[in-house]
Amino acid sequence: MTWRREAGSEPWRVGVLFSQSGVMAVIEETQLRATLLAIEEINQGGGVNGRELVPVIYDPGSETRAFALCAKRLMVEDGVTTIFGCYTSSSRKAVLPVVERLNGLLWYPTLYEGFEFSPNVIYTGAAPNQNSVALCDYLTETYGSRFYFVGSDYVYPRESNRVMRDLLRSRGGEVVGETYLDLRAKRADFGPVMRQVRNAGADVIFSTVVGYSTVYLYQSYLEAGFDPRVTPIASLTTTESEVRAMGSEVAEGQITAAPYFQSIANERNARFVSRYKKRYGDDEPTNMCAEAAYFQVHLFANALAGTNTMATDIIKPAVLDSDFEAPQGRVSVSAATSHTSLWSRIGRANRAGQFEIVRQSAMPVWADPYLVGRGRASLSATVR
Amino acid sequence: MADVRSTQEAAGEGSEISSLEIVVAVRRDDEGDALARELLRTRSRVRRLWPMSTRLPEDADVIFCELVPELPQCLPWVPGEPLAALVAVTPAIQAPDLKLLRNCAPHAVLHRPFTPGAVVTSLALARAQFLYERRLRSRIDKLDETLRAFRSVERAKTILMQSRKLDEEEAYHFMRRQAMNRRVSISAVAAAIVDSHDVLG
Repeated sequence: MTWRREAGSEPWRVGVLFSQSGVMAVIEETQLRATLLAIEEINQGGGVNGRELVPVIYDPGSETRAFALCAKRLMVEDGVTTIFGCYTSSSRKAVLPVVERLNGLLWYPTLYEGFEFSPNVIYTGAAPNQNSVALCDYLTETYGSRFYFVGSDYVYPRESNRVMRDLLRSRGGEVVGETYLDLRAKRADFGPVMRQVRNAGADVIFSTVVGYSTVYLYQSYLEAGFDPRVTPIASLTTTESEVRAMGSEVAEGQITAAPYFQSIANERNARFVSRYKKRYGDDEPTNMCAEAAYFQVHLFANALAGTNTMATDIIKPAVLDSDFEAPQGRVSVSAATSHTSLWSRIGRANRAGQFEIVRQSAMPVWADPYLVGRGRASLSATVR
Repeated sequence: MADVRSTQEAAGEGSEISSLEIVVAVRRDDEGDALARELLRTRSRVRRLWPMSTRLPEDADVIFCELVPELPQCLPWVPGEPLAALVAVTPAIQAPDLKLLRNCAPHAVLHRPFTPGAVVTSLALARAQFLYERRLRSRIDKLDETLRAFRSVERAKTILMQSRKLDEEEAYHFMRRQAMNRRVSISAVAAAIVDSHDVLG
């Protein structure tokens, strides 16, 4: 048995599932990069308990079914139990039965619509109360309360709009129109939407368009002659990466709510941004999804150092209640919900393709995925 | 084998284990033949499939399958979303491959050598487990939907209480009656009330 490595030096193999092709690659590739960056950092620091982290990476190509099959392959053929991955809610829902049946642990670094609590998922992106509440307040106070909803046609935009509609009503506002477009929508599809927005007399275009068609939405907006100082596009999903894809002059003045922006001024973020750029290129921005993908690997590695096993039933309790100094600030995983307490921020895109933070919470906001306390809990967002 | 037959009938007229579509992807040896014969006695349709195809059929109620290393790849579903009850047939000599077993997530195991009684037992157990799992999954789906709908039901109730001067109980009954008359769910009625209230201001 001399050829066999000692058990104590075998690498830790983890699964990584982000699309590198198809319509979602524009954002999922940044999550892949941030995941690999964190893995490299951990390995450069000697790995976890002297053992290297080794990613097993598949490209599901933005196809929902492929996510399920890749997750099965990771767990069944590669013997992996921990998976970092998924951007869309459809892909998460496709992976869910696999990790639940085989008792794996999926780390999900993306904002989503809430109303879920799988024992086999750690949620590190924002739940609706962590971004929508502050965004709704800001928009109704600043621009008015007539919202037009534009979204991609899949589960997240519809569910997320259900939440936003509720928030808006409770503030006396109204939804003056609602349109869903195919994930593969073309530029021409957005022209009619802009006319409807104008006819409806909207104060705000609330967008949950994701993937490459985000670019067309913002381009069509400019073509239609709207002014972001009067009728902005407000989004939960347009990050620095989408802004880069459309050109920063196209996005200037538009609003996004997120736990993280590249522009956050602290030392931890400066280190993250400079490492990311050094590794992937000076013009590659970080974004909220990449940041969550990055810090969740560190949360995992810290827990693994304590348990020295990736067995889900052992490592998951070690993850719960743990915290980490992330680029967005200190974050912690709630034992009650397996969701992460995150910072709530509103950013306005500037000419350089970065977001100027116009409002942020005074402390991390607890995730309330079932919106149990919404309305009663006072919002901790404060004007800077 | 009269004993087996009576056991089967005792299990509630064989409601869960008769007249099924059963696929038997098991070696064509004496034991495999005996297995197929025993399954036929449950008045089910039995299809034999050997050598095992790279993708097992999706339209079976129950699949009896040799626990071979490539089985996880042959199953036409991902773990957690089975389309049929799965019985893994395990070999007599080797120690069972527990990791392989876990990855296939069968509902029952039939270990060689087996008796006719063991065949029927594994069939009944696998079918019952599969159906129970399916009921649980559907319950979770409904719970998820109910949780989401709950918010609109609450809001619709408030609207009804204000606009029609109903008390809480009456408002709820109103929605339930509407749902029954129109043969839709209460949450659909609630959503309609909330939406029309929006339009009317």
